[in-house]
Amino acid sequence: MANMIMASSKPVMTTIVASNPKLPKIPTPKLLKPQLIPTLKSISLFTLTSLSFAPPSVGAEIEKAALFDFNLTLPIMMAQFLLLMFALDKVYFTPLGEFMDQRDAAIKEKLSGVKDTSEEVKQLEEQANAIMRAARAEISAALNKMKKETQLEVEQKLGEGRKKVEGELQEALANLENQKEETIKSLDSQISALSQDIVKKVLPL
Amino acid sequence: MNGISCSINAPNGLYDISGVEVGQHFYWQIGGFQVHAQVLITSWVVIAILLGSALIDVRNPQTIPTAGQNFFEYVLEFIRDVSKTQIGEEYGPWVPFIGTMFLFIFVSNWSGALLPWKIIQLPHGELAAPTNDINTTVALALLTSVAYFYAGLSKKGLGYFSKYIQPTPILLPINILEDFTKPLSLSFRLFGNILADELVVVVLVSLVPSVVPIPVMFLGLFTSGIQALIFATLAAAYIGESMEGHH
Repeated sequence: MANMIMASSKPVMTTIVASNPKLPKIPTPKLLKPQLIPTLKSISLFTLTSLSFAPPSVGAEIEKAALFDFNLTLPIMMAQFLLLMFALDKVYFTPLGEFMDQRDAAIKEKLSGVKDTSEEVKQLEEQANAIMRAARAEISAALNKMKKETQLEVEQKLGEGRKKVEGELQEALANLENQKEETIKSLDSQISALSQDIVKKVLPL
Repeated sequence: MNGISCSINAPNGLYDISGVEVGQHFYWQIGGFQVHAQVLITSWVVIAILLGSALIDVRNPQTIPTAGQNFFEYVLEFIRDVSKTQIGEEYGPWVPFIGTMFLFIFVSNWSGALLPWKIIQLPHGELAAPTNDINTTVALALLTSVAYFYAGLSKKGLGYFSKYIQPTPILLPINILEDFTKPLSLSFRLFGNILADELVVVVLVSLVPSVVPIPVMFLGLFTSGIQALIFATLAAAYIGESMEGHH
Protein backbone atom coordinates (compact mmCIF):
# COMPACT_ATOMS: atom_id res chain seq x y z
CA MET A 1 0.00 0.00 0.00
CA ALA A 2 2.78 2.34 0.85
CA ASN A 3 4.45 1.66 -2.49
CA MET A 4 1.24 2.39 -4.34
CA ILE A 5 0.82 5.66 -2.56
CA MET A 6 4.43 6.57 -3.08
CA ALA A 7 4.15 5.79 -6.75
CA SER A 8 1.03 7.87 -7.05
CA SER A 9 2.58 10.78 -5.20
CA LYS A 10 5.46 11.01 -7.59
CA PRO A 11 3.48 12.24 -10.62
CA VAL A 12 1.78 14.81 -8.37
CA MET A 13 5.12 16.19 -7.36
CA THR A 14 6.47 16.31 -10.88
CA THR A 15 3.37 18.06 -12.24
CA ILE A 16 3.67 20.78 -9.63
CA VAL A 17 7.29 21.17 -10.49
CA ALA A 18 6.64 21.14 -14.22
CA SER A 19 3.86 23.74 -14.11
CA ASN A 20 6.15 26.41 -12.79
CA PRO A 21 7.23 28.80 -15.57
CA LYS A 22 10.73 29.18 -14.15
CA LEU A 23 13.10 26.47 -15.11
CA PRO A 24 12.86 24.17 -12.18
CA LYS A 25 16.24 23.19 -10.97
CA ILE A 26 15.88 20.32 -8.59
CA PRO A 27 19.06 20.78 -6.65
CA THR A 28 21.34 17.92 -5.90
CA PRO A 29 22.77 17.90 -2.44
CA LYS A 30 26.23 18.27 -3.91
CA LEU A 31 25.27 21.66 -5.30
CA LEU A 32 23.62 22.64 -2.04
CA LYS A 33 26.46 21.84 0.26
CA PRO A 34 28.95 24.49 -0.85
CA GLN A 35 26.19 27.12 -0.69
CA LEU A 36 24.93 25.97 2.67
CA ILE A 37 28.14 25.59 4.59
CA PRO A 38 28.90 29.33 4.94
CA THR A 39 25.32 30.07 6.11
CA LEU A 40 25.36 27.10 8.44
CA LYS A 41 28.62 28.15 9.96
CA SER A 42 27.33 31.62 10.58
CA ILE A 43 24.19 30.37 12.27
CA SER A 44 24.80 27.30 14.33
CA LEU A 45 28.02 25.39 14.33
CA PHE A 46 26.98 23.37 17.29
CA THR A 47 23.80 22.03 15.76
CA LEU A 48 25.69 21.15 12.64
CA THR A 49 28.23 19.08 14.47
CA SER A 50 25.65 17.37 16.61
CA LEU A 51 23.27 16.68 13.81
CA SER A 52 25.70 15.47 11.24
CA PHE A 53 27.59 13.04 13.41
CA ALA A 54 25.62 10.30 11.64
CA PRO A 55 26.15 11.14 8.01
CA PRO A 56 22.90 11.24 6.09
CA SER A 57 22.60 8.82 3.26
CA VAL A 58 22.66 11.48 0.62
CA GLY A 59 22.28 10.73 -3.00
CA ALA A 60 19.79 11.01 -5.77
CA GLU A 61 17.22 8.93 -3.94
CA ILE A 62 16.32 11.82 -1.61
CA GLU A 63 14.67 13.80 -4.38
CA LYS A 64 11.88 11.33 -4.69
CA ALA A 65 9.94 13.54 -2.24
CA ALA A 66 8.80 10.64 -0.20
CA LEU A 67 5.69 11.58 1.69
CA PHE A 68 4.75 8.03 2.62
CA ASP A 69 8.19 6.85 3.45
CA PHE A 70 7.97 4.09 6.05
CA ASN A 71 11.18 3.05 7.64
CA LEU A 72 12.75 2.27 10.99
CA THR A 73 11.34 5.52 12.32
CA LEU A 74 8.01 3.79 12.89
CA PRO A 75 9.10 1.19 15.45
CA ILE A 76 11.43 3.72 17.05
CA MET A 77 8.52 6.10 17.56
CA MET A 78 6.45 3.26 18.98
CA ALA A 79 9.20 2.40 21.44
CA GLN A 80 9.68 6.05 22.38
CA PHE A 81 5.99 6.47 22.99
CA LEU A 82 5.87 3.41 25.25
CA LEU A 83 8.90 4.60 27.19
CA LEU A 84 7.31 8.04 27.53
CA MET A 85 4.10 6.42 28.75
CA PHE A 86 5.86 4.47 31.49
CA ALA A 87 7.99 7.45 32.49
CA LEU A 88 5.01 9.81 32.68
CA ASP A 89 3.07 7.22 34.61
CA LYS A 90 5.81 6.92 37.17
CA VAL A 91 6.47 10.64 37.45
CA TYR A 92 3.10 12.27 36.95
CA PHE A 93 -0.01 10.17 36.55
CA THR A 94 0.38 7.79 39.46
CA PRO A 95 1.81 10.10 42.15
CA LEU A 96 -0.44 13.04 41.35
CA GLY A 97 -3.46 10.83 40.86
CA GLU A 98 -2.99 9.15 44.22
CA PHE A 99 -2.36 12.48 45.89
CA MET A 100 -5.56 13.92 44.43
CA ASP A 101 -7.58 10.88 45.45
CA GLN A 102 -6.21 11.04 48.99
CA ARG A 103 -7.04 14.71 49.22
CA ASP A 104 -10.58 14.08 48.03
CA ALA A 105 -11.04 11.28 50.55
CA ALA A 106 -9.71 13.46 53.38
CA ILE A 107 -12.07 16.27 52.46
CA LYS A 108 -15.01 13.88 52.32
CA GLU A 109 -14.11 12.51 55.73
CA LYS A 110 -13.94 15.98 57.17
CA LEU A 111 -17.31 16.87 55.72
CA SER A 112 -18.97 13.76 57.10
CA GLY A 113 -17.17 14.35 60.39
CA VAL A 114 -18.68 17.81 60.57
CA LYS A 115 -22.14 16.37 60.13
CA ASP A 116 -21.51 13.94 63.03
CA THR A 117 -20.34 16.67 65.38
CA SER A 118 -23.54 18.59 64.84
CA GLU A 119 -25.40 15.58 66.20
CA GLU A 120 -23.02 15.42 69.14
CA VAL A 121 -23.70 19.05 69.80
CA LYS A 122 -27.43 18.36 69.92
CA GLN A 123 -26.89 15.56 72.40
CA LEU A 124 -24.78 17.77 74.59
CA GLU A 125 -27.46 20.45 74.48
CA GLU A 126 -30.09 17.99 75.62
CA GLN A 127 -27.88 16.84 78.46
CA ALA A 128 -27.36 20.42 79.52
CA ASN A 129 -31.10 21.02 79.47
CA ALA A 130 -31.75 17.93 81.53
CA ILE A 131 -29.21 19.03 84.11
CA MET A 132 -30.77 22.46 84.25
CA ARG A 133 -34.19 21.00 84.78
CA ALA A 134 -32.97 18.72 87.53
CA ALA A 135 -31.24 21.59 89.23
CA ARG A 136 -34.34 23.72 89.06
CA ALA A 137 -36.43 20.89 90.44
CA GLU A 138 -34.02 20.50 93.31
CA ILE A 139 -34.09 24.16 94.05
CA SER A 140 -37.85 24.35 94.06
CA ALA A 141 -38.09 21.29 96.28
CA ALA A 142 -35.67 22.77 98.77
CA LEU A 143 -37.52 26.02 98.59
CA ASN A 144 -40.82 24.35 99.31
CA LYS A 145 -39.36 22.48 102.23
CA MET A 146 -38.00 25.61 103.72
CA LYS A 147 -41.29 27.35 103.23
CA LYS A 148 -43.10 24.61 105.05
CA GLU A 149 -40.70 24.65 107.94
CA THR A 150 -40.87 28.36 108.39
CA GLN A 151 -44.63 28.21 108.17
CA LEU A 152 -44.76 25.66 110.94
CA GLU A 153 -42.57 27.80 113.08
CA VAL A 154 -44.66 30.81 112.37
CA GLU A 155 -47.84 29.00 113.26
CA GLN A 156 -46.27 27.72 116.40
CA LYS A 157 -45.29 31.17 117.46
CA LEU A 158 -48.65 32.50 116.54
CA GLY A 159 -50.33 29.84 118.63
CA GLU A 160 -48.18 30.67 121.61
CA GLY A 161 -48.85 34.32 121.24
CA ARG A 162 -52.55 33.72 121.07
CA LYS A 163 -52.52 31.62 124.15
CA LYS A 164 -50.68 34.26 125.99
CA VAL A 165 -53.05 36.89 124.86
CA GLU A 166 -56.01 34.75 125.74
CA GLY A 167 -54.60 34.14 129.20
CA GLU A 168 -54.14 37.75 129.79
CA LEU A 169 -57.57 38.40 128.48
CA GLN A 170 -59.03 35.89 130.87
CA GLU A 171 -57.14 37.49 133.70
CA ALA A 172 -58.31 40.90 132.75
CA LEU A 173 -61.89 39.64 132.50
CA ALA A 174 -61.60 37.96 135.88
CA ASN A 175 -60.26 41.18 137.31
CA LEU A 176 -63.09 43.07 135.82
CA GLU A 177 -65.57 40.63 137.25
CA ASN A 178 -64.00 40.97 140.67
CA GLN A 179 -64.07 44.67 140.42
CA LYS A 180 -67.64 44.57 139.29
CA GLU A 181 -68.61 42.43 142.21
CA GLU A 182 -66.73 44.59 144.55
CA THR A 183 -68.35 47.70 143.25
CA ILE A 184 -71.70 45.99 143.33
CA LYS A 185 -71.02 44.97 146.86
CA SER A 186 -69.96 48.44 147.79
CA LEU A 187 -72.92 49.82 145.95
CA ASP A 188 -75.13 47.41 147.77
CA SER A 189 -73.87 48.57 151.09
CA GLN A 190 -74.31 52.14 150.07
CA ILE A 191 -77.75 51.43 148.74
CA SER A 192 -78.73 49.83 152.01
CA ALA A 193 -77.27 52.74 153.94
CA LEU A 194 -79.10 55.16 151.75
CA SER A 195 -82.32 53.34 151.97
CA GLN A 196 -82.12 53.30 155.76
CA ASP A 197 -81.55 56.99 155.74
CA ILE A 198 -84.53 57.53 153.52
CA VAL A 199 -86.67 55.34 155.68
CA LYS A 200 -85.65 57.30 158.77
CA LYS A 201 -86.43 60.51 157.11
CA VAL A 202 -89.68 59.49 155.59
CA LEU A 203 -91.13 57.61 158.51
CA PRO A 204 -92.91 59.66 161.19
CA LEU A 205 -91.35 62.11 162.98
CA MET B 1 20.93 30.02 -8.58
CA ASN B 2 20.16 30.91 -5.05
CA GLY B 3 16.40 30.40 -5.11
CA ILE B 4 16.48 27.24 -3.16
CA SER B 5 18.78 28.28 -0.33
CA CYS B 6 17.29 26.82 2.80
CA SER B 7 17.95 30.00 4.71
CA ILE B 8 15.94 31.53 7.50
CA ASN B 9 13.76 33.38 5.03
CA ALA B 10 10.89 31.34 3.77
CA PRO B 11 11.49 29.76 0.44
CA ASN B 12 10.14 31.77 -2.47
CA GLY B 13 8.03 30.05 -5.01
CA LEU B 14 5.89 27.01 -5.06
CA TYR B 15 8.46 24.79 -6.62
CA ASP B 16 10.80 25.41 -3.71
CA ILE B 17 8.24 23.84 -1.44
CA SER B 18 7.60 20.89 -3.62
CA GLY B 19 11.21 20.53 -4.38
CA VAL B 20 12.65 20.92 -0.96
CA GLU B 21 10.38 20.73 1.99
CA VAL B 22 7.53 18.38 1.38
CA GLY B 23 8.76 14.87 1.75
CA GLN B 24 12.38 15.84 2.19
CA HIS B 25 13.80 14.09 5.16
CA PHE B 26 17.06 14.21 6.99
CA TYR B 27 18.18 10.62 6.95
CA TRP B 28 20.31 8.77 9.40
CA GLN B 29 21.52 5.22 9.00
CA ILE B 30 20.96 2.86 11.89
CA GLY B 31 22.05 -0.65 11.20
CA GLY B 32 20.83 -1.45 7.75
CA PHE B 33 17.87 0.90 8.03
CA GLN B 34 17.15 4.53 7.46
CA VAL B 35 15.41 6.79 9.88
CA HIS B 36 13.95 10.24 9.59
CA ALA B 37 16.25 12.09 11.90
CA GLN B 38 14.23 15.28 11.98
CA VAL B 39 11.27 13.37 13.41
CA LEU B 40 13.42 11.75 16.06
CA ILE B 41 15.04 15.03 17.06
CA THR B 42 11.79 16.91 17.43
CA SER B 43 10.20 14.01 19.28
CA TRP B 44 13.10 14.03 21.75
CA VAL B 45 12.47 17.71 22.34
CA VAL B 46 8.76 17.04 22.93
CA ILE B 47 9.56 14.21 25.34
CA ALA B 48 12.03 16.45 27.17
CA ILE B 49 9.40 19.18 27.50
CA LEU B 50 6.79 16.75 28.83
CA LEU B 51 9.00 14.94 31.31
CA GLY B 52 10.83 18.07 32.41
CA SER B 53 7.73 20.10 33.18
CA ALA B 54 6.07 17.15 34.89
CA LEU B 55 9.11 16.52 37.06
CA ILE B 56 9.41 20.14 38.07
CA ASP B 57 5.80 20.79 38.90
CA VAL B 58 4.65 17.53 40.44
CA ARG B 59 7.58 16.90 42.72
CA ASN B 60 6.11 17.69 46.17
CA PRO B 61 2.38 17.83 45.88
CA GLN B 62 0.85 20.33 48.29
CA THR B 63 -2.69 20.23 49.56
CA ILE B 64 -3.14 23.76 48.32
CA PRO B 65 -1.52 23.44 44.91
CA THR B 66 1.01 25.74 43.35
CA ALA B 67 0.22 27.16 39.93
CA GLY B 68 2.12 24.45 38.07
CA GLN B 69 0.69 21.66 40.15
CA ASN B 70 -2.77 23.11 39.66
CA PHE B 71 -2.30 23.07 35.89
CA PHE B 72 -1.16 19.47 35.90
CA GLU B 73 -4.04 18.50 38.18
CA TYR B 74 -6.42 20.15 35.72
CA VAL B 75 -4.87 18.22 32.83
CA LEU B 76 -5.07 14.97 34.76
CA GLU B 77 -8.70 15.56 35.64
CA PHE B 78 -9.46 16.35 32.02
CA ILE B 79 -7.79 13.14 30.83
CA ARG B 80 -9.55 11.11 33.53
CA ASP B 81 -12.85 12.63 32.45
CA VAL B 82 -12.25 11.71 28.81
CA SER B 83 -11.24 8.16 29.75
CA LYS B 84 -14.13 7.71 32.15
CA THR B 85 -16.68 8.96 29.63
CA GLN B 86 -15.46 6.64 26.93
CA ILE B 87 -14.33 3.56 28.80
CA GLY B 88 -16.63 3.46 31.80
CA GLU B 89 -15.87 2.36 35.30
CA GLU B 90 -12.66 0.43 34.64
CA TYR B 91 -10.92 3.46 33.19
CA GLY B 92 -8.15 3.58 35.78
CA PRO B 93 -5.43 1.45 34.14
CA TRP B 94 -5.92 3.21 30.82
CA VAL B 95 -5.37 6.77 32.02
CA PRO B 96 -1.59 6.69 31.41
CA PHE B 97 -2.07 5.46 27.85
CA ILE B 98 -4.77 7.93 26.89
CA GLY B 99 -3.03 10.70 28.77
CA THR B 100 0.32 10.13 27.11
CA MET B 101 -1.39 9.91 23.74
CA PHE B 102 -3.16 13.21 24.26
CA LEU B 103 -0.17 15.02 25.76
CA PHE B 104 2.33 13.75 23.20
CA ILE B 105 0.20 14.67 20.21
CA PHE B 106 -0.85 18.01 21.70
CA VAL B 107 2.67 19.10 22.62
CA SER B 108 4.03 17.82 19.29
CA ASN B 109 1.49 19.75 17.27
CA TRP B 110 1.86 22.94 19.25
CA SER B 111 5.66 22.67 19.28
CA GLY B 112 5.57 22.43 15.51
CA ALA B 113 3.49 25.59 15.33
CA LEU B 114 5.04 27.63 18.13
CA LEU B 115 8.70 26.73 18.52
CA PRO B 116 11.12 28.45 16.14
CA TRP B 117 12.50 25.29 14.55
CA LYS B 118 13.76 27.16 11.52
CA ILE B 119 16.63 28.56 13.55
CA ILE B 120 18.27 25.16 13.43
CA GLN B 121 19.38 24.33 9.94
CA LEU B 122 19.51 20.73 8.87
CA PRO B 123 21.68 19.54 6.03
CA HIS B 124 18.54 18.27 4.38
CA GLY B 125 14.90 18.70 5.16
CA GLU B 126 13.77 20.77 8.10
CA LEU B 127 12.57 20.42 11.67
CA ALA B 128 8.84 20.53 12.24
CA ALA B 129 6.20 18.81 14.36
CA PRO B 130 6.99 15.13 14.72
CA THR B 131 3.39 14.32 13.91
CA ASN B 132 3.72 15.60 10.37
CA ASP B 133 5.48 12.38 9.49
CA ILE B 134 3.49 9.33 8.48
CA ASN B 135 5.70 7.11 10.61
CA THR B 136 4.69 8.85 13.82
CA THR B 137 0.98 8.86 13.19
CA VAL B 138 0.90 5.27 11.98
CA ALA B 139 2.95 4.25 15.01
CA LEU B 140 0.43 5.89 17.33
CA ALA B 141 -2.50 4.39 15.45
CA LEU B 142 -0.99 0.91 15.54
CA LEU B 143 -0.39 1.28 19.27
CA THR B 144 -4.05 2.19 19.65
CA SER B 145 -5.04 -0.90 17.71
CA VAL B 146 -2.85 -3.10 19.88
CA ALA B 147 -4.29 -1.40 22.96
CA TYR B 148 -7.89 -2.08 22.12
CA PHE B 149 -7.16 -5.65 21.10
CA TYR B 150 -5.32 -6.14 24.36
CA ALA B 151 -8.20 -4.59 26.29
CA GLY B 152 -10.79 -6.82 24.67
CA LEU B 153 -8.75 -9.98 24.94
CA SER B 154 -7.70 -9.43 28.52
CA LYS B 155 -11.25 -8.74 29.58
CA LYS B 156 -13.15 -11.34 27.62
CA GLY B 157 -10.53 -13.87 26.61
CA LEU B 158 -11.23 -15.57 23.33
CA GLY B 159 -14.87 -14.59 23.63
CA TYR B 160 -13.72 -11.24 22.35
CA PHE B 161 -13.85 -12.59 18.82
CA SER B 162 -17.57 -13.14 19.14
CA LYS B 163 -18.03 -9.43 18.61
CA TYR B 164 -17.20 -9.92 14.95
CA ILE B 165 -20.44 -11.73 14.36
CA GLN B 166 -22.27 -9.66 16.91
CA PRO B 167 -25.47 -8.20 15.48
CA THR B 168 -25.56 -10.67 12.61
CA PRO B 169 -22.89 -12.84 10.95
CA ILE B 170 -23.57 -11.07 7.68
CA LEU B 171 -21.64 -8.10 9.04
CA LEU B 172 -18.50 -10.19 9.56
CA PRO B 173 -16.55 -8.70 6.60
CA ILE B 174 -17.46 -5.20 7.68
CA ASN B 175 -16.35 -5.86 11.24
CA ILE B 176 -13.05 -7.22 10.00
CA LEU B 177 -12.66 -4.25 7.73
CA GLU B 178 -13.21 -1.98 10.71
CA ASP B 179 -10.06 -3.34 12.29
CA PHE B 180 -8.12 -1.95 9.36
CA THR B 181 -9.99 1.28 8.86
CA LYS B 182 -9.75 2.33 12.48
CA PRO B 183 -5.97 2.73 12.58
CA LEU B 184 -5.96 3.97 9.00
CA SER B 185 -8.40 6.77 9.70
CA LEU B 186 -6.72 7.70 12.97
CA SER B 187 -3.31 7.99 11.41
CA PHE B 188 -4.36 9.79 8.26
CA ARG B 189 -6.60 12.23 10.06
CA LEU B 190 -3.75 13.38 12.26
CA PHE B 191 -1.10 13.24 9.54
CA GLY B 192 -3.20 15.12 7.02
CA ASN B 193 -4.27 17.82 9.45
CA ILE B 194 -0.81 18.59 10.73
CA LEU B 195 1.03 18.38 7.41
CA ALA B 196 -1.60 20.37 5.55
CA ASP B 197 -1.63 23.08 8.19
CA GLU B 198 2.14 23.41 7.98
CA LEU B 199 1.98 23.59 4.20
CA VAL B 200 -0.74 26.23 4.22
CA VAL B 201 1.25 28.39 6.63
CA VAL B 202 4.44 28.00 4.61
CA VAL B 203 2.70 28.83 1.36
CA LEU B 204 0.99 31.86 2.83
CA VAL B 205 4.21 33.09 4.39
CA SER B 206 5.96 32.79 1.09
CA LEU B 207 3.22 34.47 -0.92
CA VAL B 208 1.91 37.32 1.20
CA PRO B 209 3.31 39.74 3.75
CA SER B 210 3.90 38.71 7.30
CA VAL B 211 0.65 39.65 9.06
CA VAL B 212 -1.74 37.73 6.85
CA PRO B 213 -0.75 34.17 7.78
CA ILE B 214 -1.31 34.87 11.48
CA PRO B 215 -5.04 33.99 11.56
CA VAL B 216 -4.19 30.78 9.74
CA MET B 217 -1.59 30.08 12.40
CA PHE B 218 -4.18 30.55 15.11
CA LEU B 219 -6.52 28.27 13.22
CA GLY B 220 -3.68 25.79 13.07
CA LEU B 221 -3.18 25.93 16.83
CA PHE B 222 -6.88 25.39 17.37
CA THR B 223 -7.26 22.48 14.95
CA SER B 224 -4.09 20.77 16.09
CA GLY B 225 -5.30 20.91 19.67
CA ILE B 226 -8.62 19.47 18.59
CA GLN B 227 -6.85 16.74 16.66
CA ALA B 228 -4.98 15.68 19.77
CA LEU B 229 -8.24 15.54 21.67
CA ILE B 230 -9.95 13.60 18.90
CA PHE B 231 -7.15 11.05 18.67
CA ALA B 232 -7.18 10.46 22.42
CA THR B 233 -10.98 10.34 22.60
CA LEU B 234 -11.25 7.90 19.72
CA ALA B 235 -8.54 5.70 21.20
CA ALA B 236 -10.47 5.65 24.47
CA ALA B 237 -13.71 4.97 22.60
CA TYR B 238 -12.22 1.98 20.78
CA ILE B 239 -10.86 0.63 24.03
CA GLY B 240 -14.20 1.12 25.74
CA GLU B 241 -16.01 -0.47 22.84
CA SER B 242 -13.95 -3.61 22.99
CA MET B 243 -14.30 -3.83 26.76
CA GLU B 244 -18.04 -3.37 26.62
CA GLY B 245 -20.11 -5.59 28.84
CA HIS B 246 -21.49 -8.92 27.86
CA HIS B 247 -24.71 -8.54 26.00
